[in-house]
Amino acid sequence: MSATPADIAGERPAPEPRGAASARASEAAPAIELSGISKRFGREMVLRELRLEMAAGRVAVLKGSNGAGKTTLLRLLATRLRPTRGRARVFGYDLQRQGDEVRRRVALVSVLGGNYPVLTARENLKLAATLSGLAGYDLGAALAGVGLEPVADTLVRTFSSGMKKRLGLARLLLLDPPLWLMDEPYAALDEAGKNLLDDVLAAARSRGRTVLMASHELERSARFADAVLELAGGSLRRSES
Amino acid sequence: MSAAPRGPQAAGPPDGSAATDLAAVLAIARKDLLQEARSRAVTVATLFFSAVTLVMMAFAMGQDAELLRRSAPGVLWVALAFAGVITAAQSFQSDLEEGAFDQLLLYPVPRASVFLGKLLANWLYLAVLGLIMTPVTLVLYGAHAGSDLWLLPVTLVLGTFGFAVVATFYAALTANLQAREALLPVLMFPVVVPVLLGAVRSSEALVGLQNAALAGGWLQLLAGFDLVYFVTCTAIFHLVVEE
Repeated sequence: MSATPADIAGERPAPEPRGAASARASEAAPAIELSGISKRFGREMVLRELRLEMAAGRVAVLKGSNGAGKTTLLRLLATRLRPTRGRARVFGYDLQRQGDEVRRRVALVSVLGGNYPVLTARENLKLAATLSGLAGYDLGAALAGVGLEPVADTLVRTFSSGMKKRLGLARLLLLDPPLWLMDEPYAALDEAGKNLLDDVLAAARSRGRTVLMASHELERSARFADAVLELAGGSLRRSES
Repeated sequence: MSAAPRGPQAAGPPDGSAATDLAAVLAIARKDLLQEARSRAVTVATLFFSAVTLVMMAFAMGQDAELLRRSAPGVLWVALAFAGVITAAQSFQSDLEEGAFDQLLLYPVPRASVFLGKLLANWLYLAVLGLIMTPVTLVLYGAHAGSDLWLLPVTLVLGTFGFAVVATFYAALTANLQAREALLPVLMFPVVVPVLLGAVRSSEALVGLQNAALAGGWLQLLAGFDLVYFVTCTAIFHLVVEE
């Protein structure tokens, strides 16, 4: 199947490069650049020759039916999956050859949450901050930002799905990388949580963060989006809906 | 709960520098040990298994004091080896529950640091278990270490290190497989044989034969295999965690 270019390049300013070492590749490079990316699991080709150029500072929603490959694409961009074919860059850094550089600029909010159940919310965030090389962080502020400060020292295994989702959001706010990848961010959240996420996305957009989120809540998520992309049959195209 | 966002990160965005490798290793090891201290999942299983092994083998060998004394090193390492398999498997299992291992691999730290962090936690746990089990085994089996007793902890440290290296590596390799509980020992035991051989022979030389020179030779072999496995597994760990 041939590739369908989905160019959502725009005029939003690029996010500030994070550190001198990053400046060369980050400068003026698209946030996401896919050139003929394919991913195969066994005999099944999940992604086929994807092409996409997404400018820094843009927000895009990724829609598609279950199994369309949305999560696969997000995990691939987060360097958790290797493409079978093709080339992908994030802020100019090659996903396969410069994985550490890519990971410094990307965070993924996954469906599963990615939290350690036997650690407290605060310990989970502290681990994230340490492994990301943050200094001078304020865990209390990050937890308060998602309404989890009262349970900051409670083990995550006692949390509801929505609270775990909020903790994932707190980690994203704490790390605050230039590229946010979000897999069904509205799932499991109550109405207050969804409103909170709306505010976070609006703030991210206004600060020039690049966001690519897979969501079935199109009506809600599309309010913040510069483009809606659709994954179907392993191919990517810009959606008119 | 407050629904009002405080906005991304009051402390400002990260400066792009990754955690130092050592800080990452220590943070991951501390996390694993803290999880175990709270859940005690491995502690209960390994202590129970080790105690059953030591007692059952002692009963099976009967009243023959010489046989008991000579078999003490082997029984000790059998118990430690199986406890090591449980430890390594569980260290990845608890991470897989809510996608936490996936998240761990998304941080900007070298894959080798992830391996070394997991390894450090598994090794510390196994070494402490070995140091607890050794005097129990010596008493239960009526064995003595002679004047070169200090070489026994050295054997334990080197033996558990080599074992932990191989077990941690293969536990990562099989973590996402359905038959991981069966596959882990099947895959790793043929590889870890030189480590176990060196550890058992060195322990035997110290406990049974009371021959420090012989033990020293086995310890050199053990250290050599430890080094080879450590370098190899650290270098290729990234291949087993990337899909």
